[in-house]
Amino acid sequence: MTDNVTLTINEKEVSVPARTLLVDAARMAGIEIPVFCSHPKLDPVGCCRMCLVEVDGPRGTAMMASCTMPVGDGMVVRTNTEQVQTVQEANLAFILLNHPLDCPICDKGGECPLQDQTMRFGPGISQLIEPKRLAKKHYDISDTIVLDQERCVLCWRCIRYLEEWEDKPQLGLFERGNETIVDIQDGRPVDAKTGGNIIDLCPVGALTNRVSRFAYRPWEIERTPSVCMHCSVGCNVRLDSRTHQLRRIVGRENMQVNDQWICDKGRFAHAWVNDENRLAAPLLRKNGKLTPVQWNEALAYIADRITGIKEKYGADSIGAIGSGKISNESNYALQRFMRTVVGTNNIDHRDGGEVAALPTGLPALAELMKPQYGPDPQVDTVLLFGVDPSEELPILDLHLKRGILRGGVKLIIAHARKIELTRYDGPYLAYLPGGESLLLDRLIQAVQGPGMSEDESSIQTAAKLLKESENALIVYGPMAARGDDGPSVRDGLEQLAQAAGEGTRLAYAGLDGNAQGCRDMGVLPDRLPGQFPLEDASARTRLEGLWGCSISSSPGYTYKQMLDSQEMRALFVNGANPAAESPDWSASLEELELLVVTDLLPTETAQKANVVLPALGWAESDGTYTNLERRVQRAPKAVSDPKSRAAPDWMMLTHLAKQMGASWPFSDARSVTAEIARAVPAYAGLTWEALGDQGLQWDAGSAPATESSGGRTSERMPELAADNAEFPLNLVTGTVLYDGGTLFSLTDQMHGMAHGATVTLNPVDAAEFGLDPGSAVTVQSEQGQLDLTVGIDVQVQTGTAWIPESLPGAPVGALLNGSYIQRVKVEKR
Amino acid sequence: MELGDFLKGATEIGKAMGVTLKHLGKKPVTVEFPHEDIPIYPRFRGRHELRRYANGLERCIGCCLCEAACPTEAIYVEAAENDPDSPLSPGERHAKVYELNLLRCVFCGDCEEACPTEAIVLGHDFAMANYERKDFVLTKEELLNPGMPKVIIRPE
Ligand code: SF4
Ligand code: SF4
Ligand code: SF4
Ligand code: SF4
Ligand code: FES
Repeated sequence: MTDNVTLTINEKEVSVPARTLLVDAARMAGIEIPVFCSHPKLDPVGCCRMCLVEVDGPRGTAMMASCTMPVGDGMVVRTNTEQVQTVQEANLAFILLNHPLDCPICDKGGECPLQDQTMRFGPGISQLIEPKRLAKKHYDISDTIVLDQERCVLCWRCIRYLEEWEDKPQLGLFERGNETIVDIQDGRPVDAKTGGNIIDLCPVGALTNRVSRFAYRPWEIERTPSVCMHCSVGCNVRLDSRTHQLRRIVGRENMQVNDQWICDKGRFAHAWVNDENRLAAPLLRKNGKLTPVQWNEALAYIADRITGIKEKYGADSIGAIGSGKISNESNYALQRFMRTVVGTNNIDHRDGGEVAALPTGLPALAELMKPQYGPDPQVDTVLLFGVDPSEELPILDLHLKRGILRGGVKLIIAHARKIELTRYDGPYLAYLPGGESLLLDRLIQAVQGPGMSEDESSIQTAAKLLKESENALIVYGPMAARGDDGPSVRDGLEQLAQAAGEGTRLAYAGLDGNAQGCRDMGVLPDRLPGQFPLEDASARTRLEGLWGCSISSSPGYTYKQMLDSQEMRALFVNGANPAAESPDWSASLEELELLVVTDLLPTETAQKANVVLPALGWAESDGTYTNLERRVQRAPKAVSDPKSRAAPDWMMLTHLAKQMGASWPFSDARSVTAEIARAVPAYAGLTWEALGDQGLQWDAGSAPATESSGGRTSERMPELAADNAEFPLNLVTGTVLYDGGTLFSLTDQMHGMAHGATVTLNPVDAAEFGLDPGSAVTVQSEQGQLDLTVGIDVQVQTGTAWIPESLPGAPVGALLNGSYIQRVKVEKR
Repeated sequence: MELGDFLKGATEIGKAMGVTLKHLGKKPVTVEFPHEDIPIYPRFRGRHELRRYANGLERCIGCCLCEAACPTEAIYVEAAENDPDSPLSPGERHAKVYELNLLRCVFCGDCEEACPTEAIVLGHDFAMANYERKDFVLTKEELLNPGMPKVIIRPE
């Protein structure tokens, strides 16, 4: 691959790697060749003929499509002759034959390659007098993408993206000749989770963004490089804003993270940023009603009450909940407030102390990626254990699919549900919630077992794949390692990784946008910033020196314990909504003497608060976020609402600390980042300048080693198979991309895409209970009940009922009530 | 000396009276504005208006090109999608908000020049005094219903 060839383009000697396409070679030499169908991330097709150039060959000079032609040694190419120009003009005139005069009403106008190339390479006048072809305009091919067939120049980019990257051929060309059009297949909408990328790819305004339709003009928007916060992949995006409003989100290239792709949730679900219900002033409960007050009053009230509660019941009666949705700065300030000003380790977040995580996340996304002209993935086998990238981490899903299709990656899936990626033929290992350890035991046995067994079961196949692989990666998610069983699952996975041999690595992937950063900042009841255990005396001394006070060494309550415990008197909740998760928690929040909620929107939890503080979201404040591969990335402030009095969390906490007698050196977000760089060794030397717009991955070597909880109790086998006549089904829950969460549901255009309030059953079970798709049912567990409708899908195992988390108006928490495993029954309503 | 001064003064007065007498019979040029109309050149550029088609639909399609052309950023346009059952303008797009700040405008006519549908035009109304600053920002309503429609579409 490294050998270079030398060719001549426009009398200029150019040396490029062999097999480079002519069009790319010219680009490297700074010579522009106009293209439509060619794209650096897609396979060449050579269908638009815009890129024709003169190439001298054995049979004389010929016009060749430079986008399909690899360079050859000694090739002589000319892109600036009269003939090339004539052909370019003729081609543009031909493309424009049927192209409507829509520019003034077309969302692509102003950033349209067709406009630009017509101005630069076009004939200047039109000779067309015949009427143009008519086809479908403003035709919704999905809830978020609008197609205008008249504008299409038939470049195939959209078709190729869906085939080559998504592996979902949902668009195609129909009819022939002058009548050729792009259309969806059999009337089924484009539902690929990253389908929105075809909008960025389309070289004309044939595919446009339905959510941002007519909301922006390219010449009047401000562009801010940022990162997406909907999941922990942390895709790089660009926020386009105007008049204090976020108008559009597009993908931004980062070859270490997302290539240039983003998923549809990241692209379209941003209406919450400018939602009219956003909290804009501090609220204080007066006479039972939340009333807008000044910041001073709200903070003085909190300081006063906290001091009182601390005196009366002790510091350990106060707790705080951080979140993987808020920035490193805000999370850091929250734990510093709890540990130094209040003096307790009662600090955690959802999926925090309850999950047996590993500190360093994925090795690097780049090891899994297969870019168009890049090397194959370094990882050869991936075992997904209790993670569903298609719903939880869509761009990881994209990388995996590409790796499987083009990079020879083998996939093994262990999941309670037959997730979408099981469509690739790797072994699928089913388990029931709570049965993770059991499955691991069998898998470890199979890996350690004697040589090749004739057994063709999926466990044997999986074991064989793991043993044969040289560079395997096991990824597990929070769903697989929660609660009491968590540590034993983690240890089992570690044992498996060891058994599978040298090259096998194990990684934990958190799901929230800043799940990793939240852990790094020490928003955990038993770990300090940098994920050092509380018992680590040297880490404690270092932080005590930095903070100028002593830190308690007794571990605090976890998220669940804080909400379950009756001893809690005061709770800070930042960016979390426990009231919606469990009826019991909802009730216990009301028992608190003081509940302070910091959030963007009036959530169920905020309704119960004594004080509600309005926060700024990721688009409105400066902050850093750490993605699932430990890449710290910056999201600068892109918009601000001049009428809102909301503030970033770290700022509120700095003022609150001041009210309570502590003086923190934080003047702006940058100064908080600077302190993080001192408090967390892995973040040492990290500045905004160093982060740039591509972020920095921290060195996994600087993380404290995880102490394995020693001997694993593999004898303890949960009695799962026990038939329970009363509650015959195992409840399976988890994250879906299009859920009922506030950050998604506020985008009206996407309502049709949201997962309905359904319980999905295997056809066998549905038949047994006499249920049809759409039947109205009541699902009951020992904890509570929920009204849903029935969905039927073979993806769901027999004996289980699949109800995703945070469905619109149907919180599965009503059935779980804070627990992780429940059995349910489904009855017709 | 004194007689000389007197004679000189008398001649000057006589000259001046001569001018007066000369113009006594001529028609005056003063126009009794606002009681009388002022003749305006056809290409005069005054207060803007937004035009409609004969069928009542707005010409403006909310393309924002006038806004882009305006050297003083006097124009603010916010576009929206037409309801296919009761469109405001032909096609898919209309201006939801159209505001023109007369305090910024320098009446250069670039907006008119840029408009692909000849929707925004500069009219002949030049009496634009007002009492409040905010009243100098013309809304879409005001632009669509000018008090004194006297527009000539300039041929160039
Ligand atoms: S819709 Fe756009 S991307 Fe797809 S073929 Fe047409 S012009 Fe190309
Ligand atoms: S994959 Fe995740 S981070 Fe990336 S755009 Fe989608 S939701 Fe955002
Ligand atoms: S006349 Fe000139 S200054 Fe006035 S609004 Fe139009 S473009 Fe702007
Ligand atoms: S007035 Fe003309 S140029 Fe301005 S937005 Fe309307 S159609 Fe476009
Ligand atoms: S760009 Fe080469 S044929 Fe289209």
